[in-house]
Amino acid sequence: MEKLPLGLALDLRKVVPYKTGSWRTLMPVNMMQTPPCTQSCPAGNDIRGFLRVLAEKQDYEEAWHVLTRTNPLPATCGRVCPHPCEAGCNRRDFDTPLAINCSERAVGDYGLEYNLKHKKLISKRKEKVAVVGSGPAGLSCAFHLTKRGFQVKIFEANSEPGGWMRYGIPSYRLPNYILKQEIEKILELGIEIECNVKVGVNIPMDHLTQHYNAVFLGIGAQMGASIKIPGEDAQNVFSGVEFLKLINSGQIVEIGKDVVVIGGGNTAMDCARVAKRLGANVSVFYRRTRVEMPAITAEIDEALEERIMFRYHTNPLKIITDEDRVVGLLCEQMELKESDASGRARPVPIGDSESTYPADTVIMATGQAVDYDGIEIRKQNDQWISTNENLMTSIDGVFAGGDAVLGLETVAVAIGQGLRAASAIEDYIEGNLESQLSPPPVIYSKDLNTYYYTHEKQFSKKAVSIHTRLKNFREIYPSFDRQEIIKEAERCFSCGLCFYCGNCYMYCPDNAVKISPSTGKYDFDLDFCKGCGLCAIECPCHYIQMTLER
Amino acid sequence: MLKQIEGSQAVADVVALCRPNVISAYPITPQTHIVEDLSVIVGQGKLDAEFVNVESEFSAASVVLGASAAGARAYTATSSQGLLLMAEVIYCIAGMRLPIVLTCANRAISAPLSIWNDQQDSMAVRDAGWIQLFAEDNQEAADLHIQAYKIAEQTFLPVMVCMDGFILTHAFEPVDIPEQKEVDDFLPPFKPRHIVDPRWPRGIGLYADPRFYMETRYILHRAMEKSEKTIKEVSADFSKTFGRDSGGFIKTYKLKEADVAIVSMGSVVGTIKDLIDQLEEEGKKVGLLQICSYRPFPRQEIYNVLKEKMNIVVLEKCISLGRGGILASDIRWSFPRAEKKDRNISSFIAGLGGRNITVDDLRYMVEKVEKEPVELEFLGLKKELIADKDL
Amino acid sequence: MNEKAEELNRVEKKDLFGSGHRACGGCGQALAARLVHDAAGENTIACVATGCLEVFSSPYPDPCWRIPFLHSLFENPAAVASGVEAAYKALKKGPVNIIAQAGDGSTADIGFQCISGMFERGHNVLYVCYDNEAYMNTGVQRSSFTPYGAWTSTTPMGNPTRKKNLPLIAADHGIPYVATATVDDFRDLQRKVKTALSIEGPKYIHILVPCPLGWGHPGELTVKICRLAKDTGLFPIFEIIDGKVTNVKKIPVKVPVEEYLKPQGRFRFLFKKGVPTEKVAEIQEIANQNIERFNL
Repeated sequence: MEKLPLGLALDLRKVVPYKTGSWRTLMPVNMMQTPPCTQSCPAGNDIRGFLRVLAEKQDYEEAWHVLTRTNPLPATCGRVCPHPCEAGCNRRDFDTPLAINCSERAVGDYGLEYNLKHKKLISKRKEKVAVVGSGPAGLSCAFHLTKRGFQVKIFEANSEPGGWMRYGIPSYRLPNYILKQEIEKILELGIEIECNVKVGVNIPMDHLTQHYNAVFLGIGAQMGASIKIPGEDAQNVFSGVEFLKLINSGQIVEIGKDVVVIGGGNTAMDCARVAKRLGANVSVFYRRTRVEMPAITAEIDEALEERIMFRYHTNPLKIITDEDRVVGLLCEQMELKESDASGRARPVPIGDSESTYPADTVIMATGQAVDYDGIEIRKQNDQWISTNENLMTSIDGVFAGGDAVLGLETVAVAIGQGLRAASAIEDYIEGNLESQLSPPPVIYSKDLNTYYYTHEKQFSKKAVSIHTRLKNFREIYPSFDRQEIIKEAERCFSCGLCFYCGNCYMYCPDNAVKISPSTGKYDFDLDFCKGCGLCAIECPCHYIQMTLER
Repeated sequence: MLKQIEGSQAVADVVALCRPNVISAYPITPQTHIVEDLSVIVGQGKLDAEFVNVESEFSAASVVLGASAAGARAYTATSSQGLLLMAEVIYCIAGMRLPIVLTCANRAISAPLSIWNDQQDSMAVRDAGWIQLFAEDNQEAADLHIQAYKIAEQTFLPVMVCMDGFILTHAFEPVDIPEQKEVDDFLPPFKPRHIVDPRWPRGIGLYADPRFYMETRYILHRAMEKSEKTIKEVSADFSKTFGRDSGGFIKTYKLKEADVAIVSMGSVVGTIKDLIDQLEEEGKKVGLLQICSYRPFPRQEIYNVLKEKMNIVVLEKCISLGRGGILASDIRWSFPRAEKKDRNISSFIAGLGGRNITVDDLRYMVEKVEKEPVELEFLGLKKELIADKDL
Repeated sequence: MNEKAEELNRVEKKDLFGSGHRACGGCGQALAARLVHDAAGENTIACVATGCLEVFSSPYPDPCWRIPFLHSLFENPAAVASGVEAAYKALKKGPVNIIAQAGDGSTADIGFQCISGMFERGHNVLYVCYDNEAYMNTGVQRSSFTPYGAWTSTTPMGNPTRKKNLPLIAADHGIPYVATATVDDFRDLQRKVKTALSIEGPKYIHILVPCPLGWGHPGELTVKICRLAKDTGLFPIFEIIDGKVTNVKKIPVKVPVEEYLKPQGRFRFLFKKGVPTEKVAEIQEIANQNIERFNL
């Protein structure tokens, strides 16, 4: 022990601080949590990640790499995705959710403009995987497998890759050149692709199961399912799938003056809006009401803006033809009763309500099915491919995902399935039976301390005028101002991950939050932390939580 | 230079010669002239110092505490009520080992209110850890201040120079005021041991828990005991430099041959010396032991000079109510138990509240103790004023 | 000019009031002390009064101060600081920041004489009062800053008097700068300290510091409680520069005093089974008067 200084006057530079950390009963820990945007995203994108990169570093290139870790088609999704992430965004309870979809498109477009390249993760492995179908599910699976080092070959039945994105989604929603560039980037990783090869017809399934370590089926649901009414075989009666494929292949289709589209899904909306752009008067007939239509809300809204007429409660009975050409459609009115098996209200015909509507073309976008030609595989409900929880089908080593498994879903869902399948295939090949670590828990807005966030207006995209839209098949939303997108990204709350606001650092009465000299991150000095919990309460994004001292 | 000046002026002039950096005081009779004179000296630019006019003695002491802790030579002066008001700070200054010099113009304590002289005030803080020096006359009062700074700044103990209020402060006597150069040569600039300064961060005034407090008190006690050496050295030095005896531990007057020894301190020793001279002419041998340094208490020295004296009378201007004479108990304590048996040590309380002490009063006292020892007596008590029922 | 504004608004964290002090977890005063001294910088001398701050920050042999500090007694930091300032002037040293600081008891009650004297004499000293609204260090006894209705150990039935308004009293001494602040807005507090230290003469800053133990709330709510004190109008934030009230922080959304009173154990007797008693209405009246007087 030191001798007492004169008058107990102490040289402060010689003091050894007293370690108050021993007082604690609770301890602060940094707990990264899953933000609800990621949880809602079917592809599991690190949305918080790419938005924070934009906000903190204004670096589009890094943002693109963060986003394409999970989603190799950002420019595509930024155009066609119905963005369930925005519905989950915690900021929704504060003012308005983040315009994530627009941000995704801005980042994707940047990648195209600056010709950014995907990064490969590890070096080549000897195993080979066959991917059937180059839609979003197949491309995503191929992408993720290649990044893990597997050798992948894609077999595509159509003449160009892209699946439903190429042949189903019209170009005013997704311009072909955008899709083409994104697919090229994916293929540049070293993926082999052979088009005009239909597995099951041109090549038997056995060939694949024998020559490849695993197979992924991303064959989609590109067969139109008809409603079987008389007159279906006439000319100018198309299934929705057929019609869109023709248009997207660049074929000219004579549709006449009046077009009736039957159906309420996205395909129906696409068909209607394409027909409108070809110059026809378009009506959409649906036997239930708008509320029950499965199409994306934005699609229905834009169709209405484009002055497409909607007839609800209308069920077609017969196509009226004249010399094998469509001239009209006989329909009855329906009323809605209690819900049927699909969970929607059951339409019941009203007697004596038949009427005829003129039509030059009838497009039946009433359902789609998987084209199983040549493929023997177990199905569920006799419709979709049956898979276990690891996305493996009834055939060992054959996996499946996307529309072929889940029914008509979105591009994002298919991309997510492709990633899951790639993981599952890797586990299968390595004989890895262990399940993945569960992701961290989700953080909801009730746990945020929103006092430190300021209210800012949401970015809003502006469409070109209806008049301009209908003149051609160009995109209706021109490209977004990159600075405005960065401003929008700054609205991101960074739920569940530190964004260096410095509150914990400034508020700790014991100076027990330090900046690590190596990582620049905030760290707790447990020698002095008394466990008061101020840091946890004042952390806006709930990254700091108090746990019992061990 | 010899001047016919008021005691207060002498003190003020000499304190100014010591070049204090910060002076802070609050007016209280009979100290007022000292600080008034100092404020004139500062105001006229003859002394480059900060004069802080505070709003109470407590603040005055706090200001000098702060100033000293910041490395300045500091000075304050007070009396009676003021000293008691600043009692908290007095103890604090000693505990912090700050070399502050304070002039106590001894005055009686309320209640009842009295502005006249006795020594109860400085007695009230005798245990605080301050060196207490008592002046016999104005010359010594002035000289002690120069010695006080030197003692304080060597021992890092604060020094209280006690001079009887009115009797010394307001009396005009010839006093030799030294030259500035003489004082500068005798008293070097203040070199503090611990100060608050951002260049060398120090904490002053930490608190001590039971692990450490006792040792701080031991250190203070031992420091006071050891300051005897410094007090004597500085007094001897002063004599050599300025050519006159002043201060020190104790002084004696015709004590060697005395049959009766009178012990006292402060200005009353002047009157006692007059009596001793008179009694000498009458053939009586009476001597004086003058206590100059009351704290630290010169126990050994007192024993040495009084051990042959079997008839001792202690005369003091203070009392410990409910116990008796303070100086008397100190003197009685100075002898080992065995040597007290046949010795008479009488205690007389005199001069409280400014009651005049005349030569006749003292003569009465000496005659009384020649006959028998006196346990405790108030000298010149007016019995006619006391109602028996109040006793 | 912009550089000066930048310097004034920059947030400082140097930990000149370091770790290792014995304050309770979540202590508002410890936080305030660090914010104040970091804003003042290393060229500072702290004159501290006895109280929570001194007791938890300066025990021998491990005080947590990194700048020199001088502590003597309970009621005299203003006088001691005056002495330090006088010494620096006399010795022609400096310039140096001298901060006299004390709790509410030492400032408003026992030390009132000293700070009034310091203000009146015009010393170049910043006085900071850490107001936790009672004599916390000795066991939560009532002071003249204890608000109306609060429980303290010497007013167990609720404090019957209203809080003394020292900022206005200080301003009436004619000092150039007075400010009130809370610990939740550290930018504002540090800016006010820096502004004060740039002005010659006596300055007074009054900081509301919640005391989890004495106020009866968990340590983690310290910052939130400060905000509620501001937003109810019970603790107005303003500056008084050369006698004129300025920079009043307006309340964006006024909060009823109940929200401030409910989370604090010291006000629990104001509610009977969750229902507010008439005292709450009286406190609301006090808040309303503040809102009107300072135009919050």
